[in-house]
Amino acid sequence: MKVTATLTVNGTAYPVELDPHASLLRAVRDEIGLTGSKEGCDDSECGACMMLLDGKPVNSCSYLALQAEGRAVTTVEGLAGEEELGELQRAFLHQGGVQCGFCTPGMLVSATALLHDNPEPSDEDIRIALSGNLCRCTGYDGIVRAVRQASVGGVAPLGAAVHHADTVAPHHGG
Amino acid sequence: MTATFVSATTLEEALSAVAAGARAVAGGTDLVVGARQGKAALPDAIVAIDRVEALRGIANVDGALVLGALVTHEALVADTTVRERLTAIADASAIVGSHATRAQGTIGGNVMNASPAMDAGGPLLCFGATVTLRSTAGERSIDLADLWTAPGRTIATPDELLTSVRVPLPAAGTGSAYVRLEYRRQMEIAVVGATAVVTVVEGQITDVRIAITALSPTIRRIPEAEAALVGTDGGDAAVAAAAAATAAASTPISDVRGSATYRTAMAEVMARRAVASAITRATGGSVPIPASPALHGAK
Amino acid sequence: MATVETSPAAGAFVRPDGKEKVTGTGRYTADLSFTGMAHAKFRYADHSHAKVVKIDTTKARALPGVVAVVTQSDLPDVKFGGFVQDRYLFAKDVVRFEGEIVAGVAALTEEIAAEAAALIEIVYEVLPAITDFVSAMDEGSALVHTEWASYGRDENILSTGNTMAYHTIVKGDADAAMAGAEVVVKGRYVSDSSQGVPIEPRAVIAQWQGDKVTIWSSTQVPYAARAGVASTLEVPEADVRIVVPLLGGGFGAKCDLHFEGQVAALARAAKRPVKLVFSRQEEFVAIAQRREGIVMEFETGVTREGRLVARKARLVLDKGAYCGEGGFLGQMAAMHACGPYVIDNIGIESYLNYTNSQPSGSVRAPTAPQVCWGLEQHMDEVAAAIDMDPIELRRRTLIEEGAEGPTRQIFDQVGVKETLDKAVEMIGYGRDLPDDEAIGVAVGWWPCMPAPSGAYVQLNGDGSGTIITGAQENGTGAVMAMPKFVAGELGMQPEDFSILYQDTAAAPWDMGSCGSQTTFNSGRAVLAAAAEVREALLDAAADSLEADRGDLELADGNVRVKGSPERSVSIAELAGAGTVHGKGSGDVPEAPECDAGGCVGRLGNESFLAPQLITQAAHVKVDRATGVVRVLRVAAAHDSGRILNKLGADGQVYGGVVMGVGMALSEGTMMDDQGRQRNPHLLDYKLVTCSDAPEIDVEWIEYDAKNAGPRGSKGVGEPPQVPTAGAVANAIAKVLGTQVRQLPMTPERVWAAGRGVAR
Repeated sequence: MKVTATLTVNGTAYPVELDPHASLLRAVRDEIGLTGSKEGCDDSECGACMMLLDGKPVNSCSYLALQAEGRAVTTVEGLAGEEELGELQRAFLHQGGVQCGFCTPGMLVSATALLHDNPEPSDEDIRIALSGNLCRCTGYDGIVRAVRQASVGGVAPLGAAVHHADTVAPHHGG
Repeated sequence: MTATFVSATTLEEALSAVAAGARAVAGGTDLVVGARQGKAALPDAIVAIDRVEALRGIANVDGALVLGALVTHEALVADTTVRERLTAIADASAIVGSHATRAQGTIGGNVMNASPAMDAGGPLLCFGATVTLRSTAGERSIDLADLWTAPGRTIATPDELLTSVRVPLPAAGTGSAYVRLEYRRQMEIAVVGATAVVTVVEGQITDVRIAITALSPTIRRIPEAEAALVGTDGGDAAVAAAAAATAAASTPISDVRGSATYRTAMAEVMARRAVASAITRATGGSVPIPASPALHGAK
Repeated sequence: MATVETSPAAGAFVRPDGKEKVTGTGRYTADLSFTGMAHAKFRYADHSHAKVVKIDTTKARALPGVVAVVTQSDLPDVKFGGFVQDRYLFAKDVVRFEGEIVAGVAALTEEIAAEAAALIEIVYEVLPAITDFVSAMDEGSALVHTEWASYGRDENILSTGNTMAYHTIVKGDADAAMAGAEVVVKGRYVSDSSQGVPIEPRAVIAQWQGDKVTIWSSTQVPYAARAGVASTLEVPEADVRIVVPLLGGGFGAKCDLHFEGQVAALARAAKRPVKLVFSRQEEFVAIAQRREGIVMEFETGVTREGRLVARKARLVLDKGAYCGEGGFLGQMAAMHACGPYVIDNIGIESYLNYTNSQPSGSVRAPTAPQVCWGLEQHMDEVAAAIDMDPIELRRRTLIEEGAEGPTRQIFDQVGVKETLDKAVEMIGYGRDLPDDEAIGVAVGWWPCMPAPSGAYVQLNGDGSGTIITGAQENGTGAVMAMPKFVAGELGMQPEDFSILYQDTAAAPWDMGSCGSQTTFNSGRAVLAAAAEVREALLDAAADSLEADRGDLELADGNVRVKGSPERSVSIAELAGAGTVHGKGSGDVPEAPECDAGGCVGRLGNESFLAPQLITQAAHVKVDRATGVVRVLRVAAAHDSGRILNKLGADGQVYGGVVMGVGMALSEGTMMDDQGRQRNPHLLDYKLVTCSDAPEIDVEWIEYDAKNAGPRGSKGVGEPPQVPTAGAVANAIAKVLGTQVRQLPMTPERVWAAGRGVAR
């Protein structure tokens, strides 16, 4: 039997009808329609589904949706707030922290949680905080650099000028 | 039967739901993952207990630290008393799963999951922790050593809820450490783990507790190893004897994570490192928290 | 001589698909849904090897909510496979591995589909599972395919029984040279199989409209998928359209025809769109793309001065149950058993053997990392046998311009010795280290894959442009860099261009995201199309400006007269209504000439076109008491010719090295005695986490490579993983004083190897 509930995701309240066994990930993707959070495994090992629950990271594939009622859920779609792109997102693009992009939403969420708790993380802090998010493309190098860049006092490394993503034409693939 | 879900806000609500057959869920890190892996289907009736205020918080009561069932690993690692007096618990909680596991996973859920690989289990056991099990009929206090009966099994009845874990603070001069074999630095499950709690008075080891993790059906203390160390000066020979006794008492399985032969050999290594770190800490030396990564490369 | 320099096109850029990827608005296949869409589940084989006596789908069909059940009896009697056609979409008479699909179900929900799949009743006659890929080739072994001789196959594939393909690489007289060699060294190495593990599990959606089907699929090779659907369902390729939404990584694991046919068949039967999304376990077990296990035996004859006079090797590879696209693995492995070395006489044999386990296939540089891991340890053993530093032995024996390859191809300029010197310098080889740390070095190679490709470039009425390419973006950024190339050709900005890609209905055929070929071949085609546009613009501008064509240049969005910038016309104006367009393919480079007359099973890999060359040096720390190894740092020096997109190229090295570290230490697929996987999940198939990844330093040895890709470039994507495990292995061996002869070099294996050594 489905249960009526209200989930607050990225500051917006959504009325939903959920099976009590539904995971938070399923509820957000299938019922609310925010597909930025991904499903990459069955057992909280990959982190592609990472969301924030009252500011704390959670593997949403392994968290019951109904438990999130009354709590603030944040997904990748909510990270930039009113901005088009947040500093962290921009840094991921500039530092080569994005390749296939499937781990990116979860990575960004974990990095956001880290920078909230620890605005000046060491590289070791960054690496530990992102270890619940598997990336197969980047070797993590660009991701660690991006989080460093977005942290307090972080500076973009020397290098060629880069184009801001929001000035780049969209593609028409898919 | 269709699934039901209630979210309790008071202990009474939670207990009556459990009494009616509901299964309690807090952080969900074991229950939901287990269901997704196909170990056991999610129970039809679920009661969420994560909003029960009475189950929160860490309190220092009568020489013991009382941990509410909802205390997370993250909170344990951050707690000053845990870090200073119950350091092995901090060692363990700091290396559970990932940052998300540590943020959501609770000590109550972790204890009741009764996994022989529970990282904080060995430290709690060695510190002589007791748990409070409560039902609508009343409550009882159980030694942790008596709680676990088999992998995934406890003596708790289905209508009982773990409400708190009481950990007596050890005597002055006590140091502790939890060390596990780590294939990776994060996202690991214990394949071999060892805990040591050692009290040193004027160069003599006056009290010692040693426990093994993932080396027997339940986490358990090794009296033979403790006997090999107590009364000694904690020198290399005594530590080696305790470590050898630990390995000898281990009854590991062979599986994809390692052969029984390897695990037995590693029981000795982990016990040696745990005891050495505990002695270092007991005698004023410094071993970073968590001890495991810091000890990589040690003898 | 190779030099290190930064080419004009190098430099940072932000990928055009970046914004949608960091905001969560990008759509991957599993993110799509359609009105009326049903969900697919497969019923997999209940045994690793069994005859299928009867399939009864009555109960499944009767379950409310089920809209289609399909078995092979509903489909044309057509087998598929790249070099050997040995498999049906659904098992027909025999199941040959645990992930074999016996039936498919489509239902209104995933849960109903799963329940229905379990209700299908199958009667089997269980057969013994053939799981040892070495003894599978013994005389008298039971056969995985009893009908093997009747299968359609490539005429160059030599098959016998369970040996699906036999290959040799032969040069001179290896036996005679070995017999006369001053020193002979033998070594045996065993590599377990491993997996590609893209973080996105596979998803496929099929929707029919009349006789035409559109399939959204997480594939690396949309045109191969289209051909596979067309052949197995007997429909024209023109009626099959494959669209790839954003692809969440591939690493080879998403090559080949993979479930598009089964889902299309279900959608046709259900008369509605059908969606398949794999679980992580299915992603491990059901795909036909395992990185093959290999047993390697090397024998090298060498002079005391370090001349390699003879190399013999015998390689046995685990093919698993079916050919798929992996028919070439044996020959590729044989070439890697030679390596980028000058060797006087060569005799390599390889056997690619069927077993009742998951099919193996292309995973990032197929066969190369395993064989390189074995060979480079063997090379260190050879160096030790002649009391020579292993770096010095390599310096004396690596190929250079004018050197002769394993089949006597003569190499153009190659920078492999420079990669060796650079990597050794970067890592600080030879410096003092604590006794539980060491540096190991390995060298590897990988060919460029020549293939046809085609592209269009059109200019729109507002002066923006559209690039239409059949190339597939798997995450590397290879397609994302194309606006840079085209903009450079036309004096425009990369932001002026959008890309239409990953849609077989839009662009000419392309090999797909495999073989490190996207920039090499698709980039060539796109540049050729841009050149046509450039010519059209010059013609139009010459008219408009009344100037000589030869005096014109394209810059800053204008065509102008050189030296008289005021005589200028904007490209937007020249684009008119938007009919300026160009198409191109470019000339496919030809494989180098060679003397492969003595080689058996020639599939085209017997010479290496524009080889990419790599040296990596790994600094590791070994906990002798536990066998736990941490890779602290890797220095990677690569020759991929001219680098066109440095951020993207560096990213390939970082990713490839970390994949290589995983393969070295923790990534191994474990099988039981029935060929079933024991660790098909990420807890026990351990990828490298962020905190375990080493620091990585990258340097490129750049020059304009001849007979190669655009602007003297070579491929980039696969080579980074080739030598990593070998470098780590050589470092571990230095600490332990002995080799670890099985891959992955897990803590238990390292510990066990170290125990046998007195310290």
